Amino acid sequence: MMIIVIGITLCLPSAGLLVIENASQISKNIEHEAEISIFLKKDISKDQIDFIELSLKKNSLVKKIHFEPKLIAWAKLQSKLDVEIGSSVSTNPLPDAFFISLNTLDQIKIEKLINNLDGIDGIDDIIIDGNWIKKLRVILSLGKLSVMFLAILLVIVLLVVIGNTIRLQTLTYKDEIEVSKLIGATNAFIQRPFMYTGMLYGLGGGLITISLLKLSVFGLNKALFKLVSVFGTDITFKGLPDEYYLYILILAMFVGLISSYISANNSIRRLKIYK
Amino acid sequence: MISFKKVCKSYPGSPEILKDIDLEISEGELVFVTGPSGAGKSTLLKLISALEKPSSGSIIFEGQSLSKFKNKDIPILRRRFGMIFQDHKLLYDRNCFENVALPLEINNMSKADTYRRVRAALDKVDLLQKEKIMPITLSGGEQQRLAIARAIVSRPSILIADEPTANLDKEYAEEIMNIFYSFQQVGVTVIISTHEIPVTNINFKRLQLNGGAIQNLIGHVQLP
Repeated sequence: MMIIVIGITLCLPSAGLLVIENASQISKNIEHEAEISIFLKKDISKDQIDFIELSLKKNSLVKKIHFEPKLIAWAKLQSKLDVEIGSSVSTNPLPDAFFISLNTLDQIKIEKLINNLDGIDGIDDIIIDGNWIKKLRVILSLGKLSVMFLAILLVIVLLVVIGNTIRLQTLTYKDEIEVSKLIGATNAFIQRPFMYTGMLYGLGGGLITISLLKLSVFGLNKALFKLVSVFGTDITFKGLPDEYYLYILILAMFVGLISSYISANNSIRRLKIYK
Repeated sequence: MISFKKVCKSYPGSPEILKDIDLEISEGELVFVTGPSGAGKSTLLKLISALEKPSSGSIIFEGQSLSKFKNKDIPILRRRFGMIFQDHKLLYDRNCFENVALPLEINNMSKADTYRRVRAALDKVDLLQKEKIMPITLSGGEQQRLAIARAIVSRPSILIADEPTANLDKEYAEEIMNIFYSFQQVGVTVIISTHEIPVTNINFKRLQLNGGAIQNLIGHVQLP
């Protein structure tokens, strides 16, 4: 029973971590596809366009360059909207534009790049398309903090629950403790079996947590597989890295050990069976 | 071996249980602590076995004051005493063998040595054939013998028994006392608290307590 309680309790923050780790992974993939749109002045010359293109190609932060001439953009827009806008709009309102992908989302580097580009004659406007990623990253870091806070709260809950169980066990073994003390057992000798019990609770609980996490990842991926076949997207839910499972196990055993140590120590003192 | 110097013992809010006790117990002595109920016999034994600390005065064990022992060293000291209680203090969820093995388990003795020693102790009190039996099924006398086996298994230099025959009939009481005498004969110091001294032809010291004070201390008495 205690093992199940520990398993489920630890599963809550671990599941939160699992979700955040997956979301972080997605955001990391998006980072490299972040784009900057550079809109050029309407009266820009061919030479100026070539100069801007050359400047972009020389920049190490720029991964991919795509030039979209205003005529093509205009034609794409019309075909997308499936209407003949030309009859109502006399001139093409769209400018020539460069769409560039960056190697980084490092804010300082991007700001520097934009400042450099801003100084080039012929550029009208620059829009960073990665702002929403910044927001996502802030949300994810907040999420990580929340999960940590939840984990701390739940570890405290576990300390209390395991400690209480061990306290009840010390009462059950009161006679044995008393006799052991009378014939020369040290507190450490008496505490030891309770600490082993606490550690085993932790180990069992940790294994249940890991099993639940692995099962939920397996279940989610099965459900996602159906979505993939419907929407044609390629999404898979990844489990936590192996070392995280080891951390969960160590944490669970540590919590079991500490709570049983504190509880057994307090209980033996409270029993007041000689010094 | 053990000496008391002006030892007093009292608990907060209650009158003094022991007053100005001066006492010398030598190695290999048989000591009977007698007196009516409430005379302080059990308290005296608890002080000897370091289960209680004196309120004043000092207890010297083998030249060392017990008050100088640190709390963490007290259990180690206690292992040198074999203690037998009126209510046996046996563990009823363990069989006879496991009960006797407990002090050796505490001493971290190897399984082979434990097996050998426990069987020897059980043999000494004539309970070897009952090693696998649970203590609850034993008679009062057998339970007390089992408690003695547990006390002697770690080969203590002092045996302390608090009214070991109080709840036993005469036949069993004699049997128990004979076991104690046999240990005294091989050099173990034996201290027994009792209401009345049984008939014996062994030299002993009698410590008569009354109202927490020594009323009479008679050395080397030999009853006919």
